[in-house]
Amino acid sequence: MANVNLKRMAWRNLWRHRRRTILTLSAIVFGTFLSIIMQSMQDMNWADMIRVAARLGAGHVTMQHPEYLDAPTMSRSVTNVTQLRAVASSHPDTSHVVERIPGFALLSTARENIGAGFLAVSPEHESEDTLQILEAITEGAFFESSTDSGIILGATLANNLDAELGSKIVYTLTDRDGEVVSALARVSGIIQTGAKTVDSTICLLPIDTVRELIGFGPEDTIQVASFIDDQRQSDAVAANLKADVPATGVAVLTWAELQPDLASFILMKLAGSWFIMGIVGVLVAAGIFNTMFVGVMERLREFGIMLAVGFTPKQLFRLIMWESSWMATVGLAGAAIVTVGPYWYLSNVGIDLTALMAGMEAAELEVAGIGLPNPMMVGIYRSNLVMICTLAVSAVLLSGLYPAWRACRTEPVETIRVG
Amino acid sequence: MSKNQKTIVELEAVAKVYAQGDQAVHALRGITMSISEGEFTAISGPSGSGKTTALNLIGALDTPTSGTVRLEDADLGTMSRQALSLLRRDRIGFVFQAYNLLPVLSAYENAELVLAVQGVAQSERRERVMDIMAQCGLEGLEDRRPSELSGGQQQRVAIARAIASNPAVVLADEPTANIDSTTANTLLGMMETLNQKQNITFLFSTHDQRVMDRARRVIHLVDGQIDSDDVRT
Repeated sequence: MANVNLKRMAWRNLWRHRRRTILTLSAIVFGTFLSIIMQSMQDMNWADMIRVAARLGAGHVTMQHPEYLDAPTMSRSVTNVTQLRAVASSHPDTSHVVERIPGFALLSTARENIGAGFLAVSPEHESEDTLQILEAITEGAFFESSTDSGIILGATLANNLDAELGSKIVYTLTDRDGEVVSALARVSGIIQTGAKTVDSTICLLPIDTVRELIGFGPEDTIQVASFIDDQRQSDAVAANLKADVPATGVAVLTWAELQPDLASFILMKLAGSWFIMGIVGVLVAAGIFNTMFVGVMERLREFGIMLAVGFTPKQLFRLIMWESSWMATVGLAGAAIVTVGPYWYLSNVGIDLTALMAGMEAAELEVAGIGLPNPMMVGIYRSNLVMICTLAVSAVLLSGLYPAWRACRTEPVETIRVG
Repeated sequence: MSKNQKTIVELEAVAKVYAQGDQAVHALRGITMSISEGEFTAISGPSGSGKTTALNLIGALDTPTSGTVRLEDADLGTMSRQALSLLRRDRIGFVFQAYNLLPVLSAYENAELVLAVQGVAQSERRERVMDIMAQCGLEGLEDRRPSELSGGQQQRVAIARAIASNPAVVLADEPTANIDSTTANTLLGMMETLNQKQNITFLFSTHDQRVMDRARRVIHLVDGQIDSDDVRT
């Protein structure tokens, strides 16, 4: 039976109704193209937002006191920073590990008193890869050491305090015992990100200076933040760290647990896009099924002849499945050809969101306090690309199953006239 | 009927009843007959006489309501669907009224189809099919698709397909119905030659007088029963 070239017959059958086949292929090509482009927008956009969130917040995975998330006070610190840093750094997916002390401070000048968020950081470990706002220091410079006596202010905050480079600022915090403590700093840098929330509420302080002020030892901190190249590995890295760090006294949290608003937003958007893609998939599959089924019902007589001359029902089934396979192969190849150009453009040039949202500046585009990257570039994870292609092929093959079954159930005597 | 030759087809008290709505239609009413190797026989009769049904049963495309159909001593009623499929492939050749070639295959590919399904090696297949196509007057038409052939040429391809696997019997359903008189005579002459030279058994279902004139035996059916069985010498 191996000598019947079912693949060749199936290929020829595919082109018997050229227009119908082209229409069906168009549905596969368009559906796959749409899915890939939509998923590309999601993958790159959300990855960018999560990266930005991690660089503005506490990394992709954070180690901190188990109760700090519920009640962030300086008494809820972690110790053995050196050990925690070593454990975090040993994970192969981790690119950077930094220690931070976040909190709230009252900033005072001779004219104004304003409350602001502060982030005490180590200039020895921080860079633009871990702290995005360092890119936006427009005046002055980052701290020279962790014991620096400077303070870096958001531009709007500085303006509200009527402060400039070199101005004296008194900052008041609560220490680990809940006592109010103050220190004097001089403005050593101004940050201007363009994002209102950041520019009006954030200041940076040197970590060792803050440690000393609030009664922390050199091994005490509030957070140890890990940065990883592929944010999708956050859960895996967090799980590994949980196994490696001391059982009590340290909680390991992912960015999604620390920023649930952003995580919910992304999840909601992803669910929406998968829902739309699901509908597109069902519509495409229904179209393909219709074509395959009509194609089979039109050829029942032919199948009767084939069975009469000795084809087995199994061979007929395989013939139809080969037709489906060819449809999937050609459709996927067509989708690849159609997708390459737009994908290249969108991944290299991107989409200018300000052009789409008239009247908005790029810095004003934000979700849950996290700025949207502009232009919005696209990029798809290989696993998602493989999944979309697999789903497309599966949809086409599944669409052929019933018609193939129907074909092999043909009764020759009912479809051909012998005498 | 040849008395000394091997019996190829045997029908014993075969009846076939179809249900048509609430009505029972008796297509065959207990016919008994046999066809021997090398016969050139026509089953004739008016529409509704049962010749279609008889050919369906002999061709293992349908099963009788009662009675026994044997092909080369094999009782078709006891065989599985798969076994019947193999029997059709290996022992029966079909020539249909409407040619029924596969439109996506060339004349050559249609003619070799049964051999290909049988799994005959390509070199042997080619040799046999080219030889048969030459006997059927199809030289030079091997690469043409059915849509590029005339009715007569298509029927020649159908005959080539039917005899390529050297079947025990070729069942031909109104093979001359859709073609002109000249072509019909040529085709009948060709089948007669194949019958005489290669001892291929032909069984026609027909009401074409030209076929009946050439047949050496004519079984006439009326109302599902054998009305006459004339053997010509």
